[in-house]
Amino acid sequence: MITVKNMRKSFGEHDVIKGITTTIEKGEIITIIGPSGTGKSTFLRALNMLDPPTDGVVEFEGKNLTDKKTDINEIRKKMGMVFQSFNLFAHMSVLDNLCVGQTKLLGIPRAEAEETARELLATVGLSEKADAYPDQLSGGQKQRVAIARCLSMKPDIMLFDEPTSALDPTMVGEVTAVIKRLAQSGMTMAIVTHEMEFARNVSTRILYMDEGGIYEEGPPDVIFVNPKREKTRAFIHRIKSYRYTITSEGFDFIEMMNNLILFCETNALSKAGAYKAQLIVEELANLMPKSEPADLTFSFPENQSLFTVTAEYGGEARDILANDEMEAIMVKSGTESVTHEYESGRNRLTVTWKPNQKI
Amino acid sequence: MNINKTQNGDKTVFTLSGRLDTTTAPKLQETLIPEFDTAKQIELNFSELAYVSSAGLRVLLMGEKAAKAKGASLTLVNVSDEIMEVFEMTGFAEILNVE
Repeated sequence: MITVKNMRKSFGEHDVIKGITTTIEKGEIITIIGPSGTGKSTFLRALNMLDPPTDGVVEFEGKNLTDKKTDINEIRKKMGMVFQSFNLFAHMSVLDNLCVGQTKLLGIPRAEAEETARELLATVGLSEKADAYPDQLSGGQKQRVAIARCLSMKPDIMLFDEPTSALDPTMVGEVTAVIKRLAQSGMTMAIVTHEMEFARNVSTRILYMDEGGIYEEGPPDVIFVNPKREKTRAFIHRIKSYRYTITSEGFDFIEMMNNLILFCETNALSKAGAYKAQLIVEELANLMPKSEPADLTFSFPENQSLFTVTAEYGGEARDILANDEMEAIMVKSGTESVTHEYESGRNRLTVTWKPNQKI
Repeated sequence: MNINKTQNGDKTVFTLSGRLDTTTAPKLQETLIPEFDTAKQIELNFSELAYVSSAGLRVLLMGEKAAKAKGASLTLVNVSDEIMEVFEMTGFAEILNVE
């Protein structure tokens, strides 16, 4: 339904989107998640040319939207958009808000438009608010009206730009429930959201955006249970992490260790937990080849149930712990697991341990 | 890491404070090993030592070997629980004389 090829978007010298290529198929429910400022909303707004991309191609149902000859207003009738700030017409009743697009843009007679509007208001649980004005509604109600208005245009796809971000927490549920019902009806949707449980339950596919692109994507069970990449894991598990990049043999060991000690203190790690983290980081730092930049990451979830140190280094496939050197013994003792993987020229060694394990 | 040397009768005592790691282990090596040329009893007081890594263990092992070679003794005292765990995990608890 939507094909995006090498989409880029810059604001001045700031590159927000550095190259996205993806597709959205009919019936898919895509949620776009990721830290603030990673271009999620910009990506969504570029799909319907509300904020046209600086470079790249967006095709919708075979039409190139980035082509100036394409009638973008015609296309937008089929691409509904729900905004964070509702964007209802304040001077019109709820019913009129739902009829105006139908009569003016689709040429549907008023009586028929009203019938559709009332049906849709019933769908979002707001039949009795037909004659109310937006100012008389709560935030959650306004957003449900906005969704109904969007549906009144019979779109082929609906784009939701953080639909619950402006809402009081008590009203988030009523809006996500409406979107979930829509999802069950088979509507194709792309949703930018910070509501993780909602994203997990509603989506057929998750796009995790970071570093100006789609950093990782997959079905919710993969992204939320077993994400493959470091930043996705950190985001999903609210993992606290300390990362240090070693760029040469003469790296600043004292800086690396002092910052690690500070990180342990800031996060109230136990004495034994902090000791073990320091020990493993130091030993791995000494063992890692440093001809290419090498990364050490110490991380744990908020509840401190499992500690992980990951060493990523280049060169040939080599498990630096596959020996009986004292450093290796130190790292391997009292751990839950030690795994070594090699992919695309990078070694990845992961050491985990539990809080009750001895140093 | 700071190393403070005192003499207690025939015993030479080194009180270590801070961290015995990759960057500080060479300093202990330079101080400790030549001491066995003259001293017969050397004590390392760990009461203010917070951390020992494998680099520190290597120097302690060198000290133990130097003591044996010279017919001297090397004793560690006031070792913290965490450092003791490191000794146990690496088998150093059996090699070193910890009091």
